[in-house]
Amino acid sequence: MKPENEKYKKVLDLLRKSKPDLDSTDGIEREVIKRISRVNHSRLFLSDLVDFLFGWVYIQWVRRSLIAASIALVLVFVYQQSIILKRIDYLSRQAIITEKESGSAPAYGIEKMLMLYRNSGWRLPSKNTTISERQMKELIESVNELQLKYKDLENLIEEDPELKEMIEKKLIENNHSKINL
Amino acid sequence: MERKSIKLVLALILMLIVSCNEPETVVTDYVHTDGSVTRKIEMKSNEADVNKRFKISEIQVPLDSTWTIKDSVDIDKKRDSIWIRTAVKQFKNVDELNQAYKKDSSANKNVSRQAGFNKRFKWFNTEFHFSERIDKQLSYGYPVKDFLNSEELLYFYSPESLKHDKETGPDSLKFRALADSIKHKTDLWSTKNIVSEWIGKFSDLTAGRAGKDMTRESLKARQDEFIQVVESNNAKFDSLWQNGIILKELIGEENAVKFKTEADSALGSVTKYFLVDFKDYSVRIVMPGKLIGTNGFIDSSHVLLWPVKSDFFMTEPYEMWAESKTPNTWAWIVSGIFLAFVLTGVIVRIIKKG
Repeated sequence: MKPENEKYKKVLDLLRKSKPDLDSTDGIEREVIKRISRVNHSRLFLSDLVDFLFGWVYIQWVRRSLIAASIALVLVFVYQQSIILKRIDYLSRQAIITEKESGSAPAYGIEKMLMLYRNSGWRLPSKNTTISERQMKELIESVNELQLKYKDLENLIEEDPELKEMIEKKLIENNHSKINL
Repeated sequence: MERKSIKLVLALILMLIVSCNEPETVVTDYVHTDGSVTRKIEMKSNEADVNKRFKISEIQVPLDSTWTIKDSVDIDKKRDSIWIRTAVKQFKNVDELNQAYKKDSSANKNVSRQAGFNKRFKWFNTEFHFSERIDKQLSYGYPVKDFLNSEELLYFYSPESLKHDKETGPDSLKFRALADSIKHKTDLWSTKNIVSEWIGKFSDLTAGRAGKDMTRESLKARQDEFIQVVESNNAKFDSLWQNGIILKELIGEENAVKFKTEADSALGSVTKYFLVDFKDYSVRIVMPGKLIGTNGFIDSSHVLLWPVKSDFFMTEPYEMWAESKTPNTWAWIVSGIFLAFVLTGVIVRIIKKG
């Protein structure tokens, strides 16, 4: 242990005594000062920027106003989106029409015109009339007659369950070729 | 079954009564974010005569030579030729579209139609509202909603194809019963409208000259009585009216003689507006962005659809509207940056305070 310690001390002494010869001490000094000042400068710049950007946090009314504005913005966003989602959800539950709608004459329109004519005898606007009033009356009468005949036929079918079943079966079969009024 | 049979006969009658040269028409409005509208009119006709087919006066919406027109022929399910005409025009805004409605020379020129467009900036989104409105015909009629419940109302305004599907589908009995109920109620609605309109027009024409028993209020109070008189005499209404018998029953002999001209004039006016010369068609609207609201139906191609029939605007304006929205990406980014900025400021303060 002893000789080792002595050797170590001797090496240290030797190193302390043999200092390096500095040929440009001024240069080294300048470099050191430059590096130290650079570190200080960058620290100063970041601090300034933070103070510049977030200086408002130290002014109470500005801080509170901006926080209130942020909360309001979030609330508006949540409210708007929830309303929109609710409306979209409602729309998605709506029935989808399987076929494109055509502009064909509606049953109600036809019936309304006929009802008015039959019930009151009022004249239809002349522009639309392409047949005479007498012919129209004949047609109405034939419709009434047809309705009576139809009711008779319906009674006949109602009285005969076998016939009824057969007709219903036939109607279902022909369902595709039915005229859509 | 009975209903269908009657409808078939009625349809045949209508074919004789009304000139049927009008094509099946579907109007599609493509609405753009700047408020401009591209309107496409698709007309289908099986009229073989080229001179009668697609006559401007028979088409349901305004159409003139400034439109881009394309014709084609197709074969329908019954293997018959069907002629198709597609007309397209770009309108700068709804005002231009409304100008076209004002100069309307189409089959439906007798009704007043307007389009409307509204754009609302709502920071995160911009909302668009587009509507097509047809003004009501009768001044003194009753809204149909006073006669039908919500389910019946929905069915009443439904497109024919949807009604057909329901009336021939799995719950056909239920929907046929619903259709019959609507038919019964709308008949009553029609009669009440006619009587109410006649009372309104008649009291307008006799205002200031008639006695206290002939004011609108007093005539209105006797409306149900009037309806009964009309219904009980419906078989011979025309001759009884011409002879003044019905009018005497309604307003008394002295008034009937004195105001016969006004009564006839009011009746003529009611007939004119009640039987408005209107050719049905369909309206489709394609909105910009995401659809968020509408009072229309959605068709198979996910486009909004409305049937347009004279019953719909008889006593109330018929408005077809749709609303959509487009997100404002820049507003989302600005909001995000602002929130991050405020949050960072709060964190900085907490750190410095700590």
